[in-house]
Amino acid sequence: MPRLSILSEVQRRMLEFFPCMEADGVPWTPLAKPLSESTVAIVTTAGLHLRDDRPFNRDHPGGESTYRVLPGDADVADIVQSHFSIGFDRTAIYRDINITYPIDRLQELAERGVIGSVATNNYSFMGALRDCTVVAEQTGPEVAQLLKDEGVDLVLLTPT
Amino acid sequence: MSVLARVFESAGLTTVAVALVREHAERVRPPRVLWVPFYFGYALGKPDDPDFQHQVIAAMLATLEAEAGPVLADYPEEAGPIGMPQASEVAEASNGNSSAAKPLDAAGEVTALRGYYERWQEQRGRTAVGITGIPQRRFRGIIRFLEAYAESDDADMDERPADVSVPQFARYCADDLKAFCYEARMAQRPGDNEMDIHRWFWGETAVGALIDSITQRLNATGDAKLQATAYGLSR
Repeated sequence: MPRLSILSEVQRRMLEFFPCMEADGVPWTPLAKPLSESTVAIVTTAGLHLRDDRPFNRDHPGGESTYRVLPGDADVADIVQSHFSIGFDRTAIYRDINITYPIDRLQELAERGVIGSVATNNYSFMGALRDCTVVAEQTGPEVAQLLKDEGVDLVLLTPT
Repeated sequence: MSVLARVFESAGLTTVAVALVREHAERVRPPRVLWVPFYFGYALGKPDDPDFQHQVIAAMLATLEAEAGPVLADYPEEAGPIGMPQASEVAEASNGNSSAAKPLDAAGEVTALRGYYERWQEQRGRTAVGITGIPQRRFRGIIRFLEAYAESDDADMDERPADVSVPQFARYCADDLKAFCYEARMAQRPGDNEMDIHRWFWGETAVGALIDSITQRLNATGDAKLQATAYGLSR
């Protein structure tokens, strides 16, 4: 993001006082094998989903803490965004989904041998949550287990 | 996003993240994070610029070299817009300008933009339109629904799924219409930048004015939930 100092007063104050889930220690898992042999997944908080999947829905209690599966071989033409926030410029993702979901870039890295392979599935959450409890305790660990079951070594996390 | 990095890393996965708000990354402390000096919506810096996006990804991957964390690296190069105009400000400025061309009705406008929208889709092979599931050739129905919703809470649409409230559905409709109009405009005037398109949409189009009128009605209700919907429609 641009430095907070150049934003409007309202946006700057909202971000300064945003209720982050603060922590002291840092979990640490070094990459177990060379990057060129690693399976890499994208997990984005851009509120993306397949065109035929359910859009993110605030009507449901906890609806914003759910996630959607983005198969690694899905055509990007089949992926849309139902993010709640309008505090971001959507023209970028209208032009190029890789701006927040760099699946084409990842496939190019696999072709060049920089990474081993692109994961079978990638995942999408809703971003800008004011309460991350359910994501931290339930849906996040669920997706971690799915990623591990699918042989993922490294996760690239991207916001919108 | 930084919370997920911690959850995944705790579960035994290696993570590298992009952060747009450096101050939040400092507080949440994900294991490895690259702060990028780009505006919201531009996590990898520049749309349609694979080389630049690869540079950002390479900077993310470079954080893997650290033997201990947290690692908070800064991306050195700025790119893209530094902000976005507020819809309400653009609309207000436009209303004060009596010489500004007044648009067609919203339904006519959608019909007039259709050719450009279809050109965009053909050129790009993808579209951001599709949250409502209603094909764009039937967007005049969405317009009729939103025009009614701008007047009253009683408005509804047969296509609304049972588990989606009317305000949430109105938001999906507004998102689909915005994507339709923006994509049409990008095909019509490829040289326009983001700021030009925001100003056009909120200042000159009947669809922008319609969405803004819903925002104003919902805001006037005093109902916090409806006001939250209003905030999501335009701000």
